[in-house]
Amino acid sequence: MLFNSFPFLLAFLPVVAVAYFALPHHRLRLVLVVGASYYFYAYAEWWFPALMAGSTAISYTTGRLLERSPRKAVLAAGIVGCLGLLAYFKYAAFAGGYALDFVHVVTGRSLPHFRTVLNGIVLPIGISFYTFEGISYMVDVYRGTLRAERDLLRYAFFISFFPHLIAGPIVRYGILQPQLTVKHRFDADRVRSGLLLFTLGLAKKVLLADGIAAYVDRYLSSPGELGFVTAWSAAVGFGFQIYFDFSAYSDMALGLARIFGIELPWNFDRPYRSASPTEFWRRWHVTLSTWLRDYLYIPLGGNRKGEARRNLNLFLTMALGGLWHGAALNFAAWGTYHGVLLAGTHEARERGLRLPRPLAVAVTFVLVVLGWVLFRMRTVDGIGSLYAGMFGLHGFGGGIPGHLLLYIVISFALVFGLPEEWRWPVERWRVVWVAAAAVLFAVAVSSVYTAHPFIYFRF
Amino acid sequence: MRRLVLFLALTIALLGAAAAFDWWIDPFGQVWKPDVLTAAREQHCLVSEELIGSRYWSFKRDVFFHRPTRAFVVGSSRVLKMSGGPRFSNLGYPGSGPETILRLFESLPAKPTQTVLLGVEGFWFNSRYTLPATDLSAYKVIEYLLARSTFTHAVNFAQNSTVLRHRWRKVDFHGQCVLERFNESITWRLDGSRVWGWEIDPAKYPKFHGGAFTGNLETWRNGYFADWTSLDASRVRALEQALRIAQSRHWTVIGFPPPEPPHMLHVLETDPRLAQQWNAYLHLMPQLFRRYGFTWANTVDGAKLGCVRADFPDLFHSDARCSRRLVHRLQAAIDNRRENLREIG
Repeated sequence: MLFNSFPFLLAFLPVVAVAYFALPHHRLRLVLVVGASYYFYAYAEWWFPALMAGSTAISYTTGRLLERSPRKAVLAAGIVGCLGLLAYFKYAAFAGGYALDFVHVVTGRSLPHFRTVLNGIVLPIGISFYTFEGISYMVDVYRGTLRAERDLLRYAFFISFFPHLIAGPIVRYGILQPQLTVKHRFDADRVRSGLLLFTLGLAKKVLLADGIAAYVDRYLSSPGELGFVTAWSAAVGFGFQIYFDFSAYSDMALGLARIFGIELPWNFDRPYRSASPTEFWRRWHVTLSTWLRDYLYIPLGGNRKGEARRNLNLFLTMALGGLWHGAALNFAAWGTYHGVLLAGTHEARERGLRLPRPLAVAVTFVLVVLGWVLFRMRTVDGIGSLYAGMFGLHGFGGGIPGHLLLYIVISFALVFGLPEEWRWPVERWRVVWVAAAAVLFAVAVSSVYTAHPFIYFRF
Repeated sequence: MRRLVLFLALTIALLGAAAAFDWWIDPFGQVWKPDVLTAAREQHCLVSEELIGSRYWSFKRDVFFHRPTRAFVVGSSRVLKMSGGPRFSNLGYPGSGPETILRLFESLPAKPTQTVLLGVEGFWFNSRYTLPATDLSAYKVIEYLLARSTFTHAVNFAQNSTVLRHRWRKVDFHGQCVLERFNESITWRLDGSRVWGWEIDPAKYPKFHGGAFTGNLETWRNGYFADWTSLDASRVRALEQALRIAQSRHWTVIGFPPPEPPHMLHVLETDPRLAQQWNAYLHLMPQLFRRYGFTWANTVDGAKLGCVRADFPDLFHSDARCSRRLVHRLQAAIDNRRENLREIG
């Protein structure tokens, strides 16, 4: 079920929210939300909840075992269990496809039956997110920074809570656990604040991200025909599209959770204001970048084993982070590219190379946009064609994409003129602003009929 | 609390107002308007296509139940010129297929027994032919009424003040009463048959032409025959299920292929991309109908019915003259089985 869909907006959310506050007992509320979240997940495919239940059972049981006996083998078994599901559903077709190609080259046998089986694997939405949440929980229990949860209901709530289930933010149990032990009384101000944040996210998604997507998709469908201006406009447009799309989802998730009395961690903080790739990753998909830092980069040795090892760790961490986004080489290339940028930033800093902040912001923005080409274009031909256009190899003509440029100007104004939406003081908004938000919400709801699915749903 | 109530109340009020406005204007004809048909029956008027919109299913059921129907025709848009006496209804509509016919049979009462003329199209058995939605669920209607694109078009429509004040108007169209909004280029009789604007006023609505076979199956006849590789088994099954229902209800069913103009029949029979499937369809249908004790009348050759090329304005749909010949031919087929088709009139 999509946040930007009528079934969610007109039925699921009102029914679950009203029922939640109507129930007198805290545990009944937890049962309600877990049940509703499983229904929310089953709306995509009936068997998805079974998979989530399996992943939940593995990490919950591992946590309990680690509490009694914090052995590496137990942790490894739990991680392998969770990652095994992810590996099968997300990476089997990718790795198996290459393996079959290799077999075909060596033996001449194409093995179509195996290929059919691989191609038939359906990627369950959200699996990348709840797998990472389960792993972080098990590792934290193993490290002793978190006590294992004994209450399966609370743990199931943590994994399945529908606002963050499909596309994050990636929540750590340490953040959620204290919030699940208390009953959240109905607080009109908090509910209103959550609704207003949800409204801002929904409007950002359906009015901005989807508006930009209409033009970007059209231009990028034939990248070989794009001149210099159009190619850059399309690439920059995609940069804003994916930012508004994903940050809108995060805003909506934060707003929805707040309605139920739960505060989730923020995920974005105007990343295009960053003056370096390092700063970019402190502002972009922060719950993923901190997850990668704490559970991958630091265990690999981080920066404790010299510059060369640090750089290698950065490449590895970011390449795996890229692959987390999708089982395709372009995502690995995108991740590695960012690994190179991060290593380059460290090297430049150590050599005392500094740019004035406005120039550094501009350079970082351009570097990030160049990276989005790898992310967006799935084929070598497409990537090459778009880069060729951006470097003027298709000429400098081809017209001015007026509507897209207008969207880009508005996007720049929003990004540099206003703080990230979750920072807006919506809880203090007066009547006029609340009324304006209601109008915005009505317009946004009426726009969901033609809305695109969220980009990060695929991951 | 007051601000929360304000937010929710204002949102609901705005969406409600927009939905009510969209319902009134209904720019894409997705809202079923039974009162139009009531008014048309009272005033003996035709109803313009724009007031039926895409609600063919509701319209045809309304036709069936408001007439003492004892015989009816079902099929695609190519049977829509067929009409008969006061107890005959035309329940065909554009975008129907075996599934819709099955559903229609299931939804109609078993008694009184009916005589059914069932026009079966070859292209129905092309799996690429998809059936458009002609029976919207309540959820789809709500979605439509709340959509911003509906509202935008409704605002444009509302600039015509007539539509804003009245959902439809009554006009005199060359002596023929028509209930419409903007135009009467296609209208419906209350027996379910269709009237083209050029049949009433050829000066205002020129008779359409075209439809010649260019060899491009993607564009010819809306692409219905493109990529046709075999008879779709699920559609055949659906048709069989419909026949089984008719058999269990002791209805009389005459299957027939809507007539083709001579040149097009030649194309269907000889084009290497179509001939095999086309002949398989014509071969299967008589067997299928016979299996359930029904008759298949081979009316595919328009020339044998006495129809000429001019009777097919777009080389696809037959006109009223040819359709009358078709009805007579089907009546003869029933008579041959010693059936009484008084219902057709």
